[in-house]
Amino acid sequence: MGARTAAPAPAGGVLLYAEAALPGAAIGLVAGSFGAVTAALAGLGAGLTGAIAAGMGAPLALLGGVYGVLVGRGVVAPGAIGPAALFWVVAFPAARLAEEAFVAAALGHGAVLREPLLSFLLFQAMLSLGFAIGFLWLHERLAPRWFHRIRSRNPVAAALSAHYAPPPGRPPRG
Amino acid sequence: MDSPDVESGRPAKRDEPVSTDPEAAREASVPRQRRPPAQEQASGAPGSEAPAGGPAEAPAERFWRAGRLEPMPIRKLPKAPPSIHILGPTVFLVALGVGMGESYMWPRLVLVFGPEIRWLFLIGVTLQAVVMLEMARYAMATGESIFFGAARVFKPLMWFFFITAIAVYIWPGHLSAGASAFERVTGIPWQATAVAGMLLVGVVFTLAKVVYNLLENVLSICIGLLVVGTAVVAAMVGSFADLASTVTGMFAIGYMPEEALSPAWFPIIVGSIAFAGPSGMQQMWYTLHLRDKGAGMGAHIPQVRGLRHAGEQESMPSRGFMFDTSDSAEMGKWKGWRRWVAFDALLLFWGITMLVTISFTVLAQASARLDPGVTEVIRDGERDAALDAMAGAFSAAGSPVLGTVFFLFIALIGLNATLGLFDSFSRGQADMTYHFVPGAKRFSVSKLYAFFLWGLILFGIGVLLFGPADGPAAILDVLAFLSTFAMGAYCVVLLLVNNLTLPKPIRPGIVSNALIGFAALFYLGALFYSLFAFGVVVS
Repeated sequence: MGARTAAPAPAGGVLLYAEAALPGAAIGLVAGSFGAVTAALAGLGAGLTGAIAAGMGAPLALLGGVYGVLVGRGVVAPGAIGPAALFWVVAFPAARLAEEAFVAAALGHGAVLREPLLSFLLFQAMLSLGFAIGFLWLHERLAPRWFHRIRSRNPVAAALSAHYAPPPGRPPRG
Repeated sequence: MDSPDVESGRPAKRDEPVSTDPEAAREASVPRQRRPPAQEQASGAPGSEAPAGGPAEAPAERFWRAGRLEPMPIRKLPKAPPSIHILGPTVFLVALGVGMGESYMWPRLVLVFGPEIRWLFLIGVTLQAVVMLEMARYAMATGESIFFGAARVFKPLMWFFFITAIAVYIWPGHLSAGASAFERVTGIPWQATAVAGMLLVGVVFTLAKVVYNLLENVLSICIGLLVVGTAVVAAMVGSFADLASTVTGMFAIGYMPEEALSPAWFPIIVGSIAFAGPSGMQQMWYTLHLRDKGAGMGAHIPQVRGLRHAGEQESMPSRGFMFDTSDSAEMGKWKGWRRWVAFDALLLFWGITMLVTISFTVLAQASARLDPGVTEVIRDGERDAALDAMAGAFSAAGSPVLGTVFFLFIALIGLNATLGLFDSFSRGQADMTYHFVPGAKRFSVSKLYAFFLWGLILFGIGVLLFGPADGPAAILDVLAFLSTFAMGAYCVVLLLVNNLTLPKPIRPGIVSNALIGFAALFYLGALFYSLFAFGVVVS
């Protein structure tokens, strides 16, 4: 059950990969808009709520989708923590930096960061491990169902679905 | 003493492998479970001349005799799944373990004593990871719960846990804490949320076809959101300095300020160590979840069904099973299962518990930086006021959303703990009742499970509506003493069960035994030292 080798793109490639990458994108969106949903609950203005949602949700959704594509291409082994942690140690700080810049621009703040860039990136990179595990936990729970559902029309999903076919658990009945 | 063929006629489960690989096909030849011949049952009775240290040979069927209860038939050990897939019963321990200790008690200690105090948290969680591995050893080798193992050694031990579970866990304190946080966000009275939540849990578990599968799915989503959410929020409000001091503080081994040993703080620190990760009997229930997941020999035991599907409940065998430890191929598979559970224990349980508590500590440090008054409120120790203060600090800093998020996390933790505890308690009590209460086998396990589940719910509603009205914190604090005592007791039981009832090749090594022995001394010693030296229980 190791890493699959990188596969050549099947016919109709990009859309197929995009469809298989939807769970990752959805998890990124939910994670990014976590603050925005509660901002609405807290009665904040639509402007700030929208800025938080867009600033954090869009980059994390995009990067979650990229992770899904990498899994579909066989670059990243499905369910493996190491590659996911490596991916997010770069992607999570990048998403946070984009969010800080977007919110500062939207609210008209002069300073983008509260601390030096290096400290900021280091801090985000360290927290990215927690994000990576949470992301992967959700992805492993949601993605196999999605792959199974679309496997008849999507060969990328079909290959991934086959990968998940023998889950942990009981032996075949004798 | 029925020992039906639990495999035949069992409906296919979503969990079951459908692989066509040759290894799996070989596994398909797992012999069916049969009722042991009468003479074999008799030979397992007390006083039999069973050879120690290896499976007993019999013409038709082989058995492993452990203690004074019915011997375990030898069956094939299923092949272990790959460890990279992060799905498994660890989710229950994380759901139960990441609670008030991680979100409130340890952040509070960090604000009072500094991040260096976190080395004690490291010790507490690491001990719990070792306990988890040893609990799994018995459950995966036999398919029996640790309660059954305790009964094999000395039946009153099992009854002690049966009674302790009722004494400690019928109180709905764990639920009221999360509901109070939800009240801060929505304004809905916490009693209403708690009662509605309990009824909802009861109905959902009653309608579920297989309770384990439903609960693993729900808890996995909740835990995933909690981990992702706390990481995102900590990333937004914390700083590198907060995180660096939190992490380096974990390795300040031996740091113990004088005030920490005072009558005011020592019991709190002992309680916080007990609350680091799963506390009380939660580790014992983990053995039941491993079994329902089909881990190791648990694959030969049917899963517990919801009451609505009680008619489909397969008969539960009257004891577990053992694999042939003299077969090198079987021992190879056993090593695979140990790798699987070690991955669960060390990376997922230990790692996620650490990450969540680090995130919450960063949040607490950020709130104290934003509003220094928070430290004083937290030092005073009133939990609700402290949580208010931490949330208020975020709000005052121009991010009212973060105060709301903080309360939502607390509510989510409460929901996870409630789901996990209601299931675990009912599962454990039903298991002990089915096997050891005379006449209980006339009911199926799913009916006994429903009986304890609804008993817990109705009692909880009664307490919330008519019980003492001095708030949820009071209920939680009273439980701490019993929780700590149960932890020391189960460490002793674990040593006895794993060293006396398992075949020699799969018994724990000297290091594991030493660590579990240390854990027993640690929990019981600190508990009684606190009691006799200061005259106070842990809190």
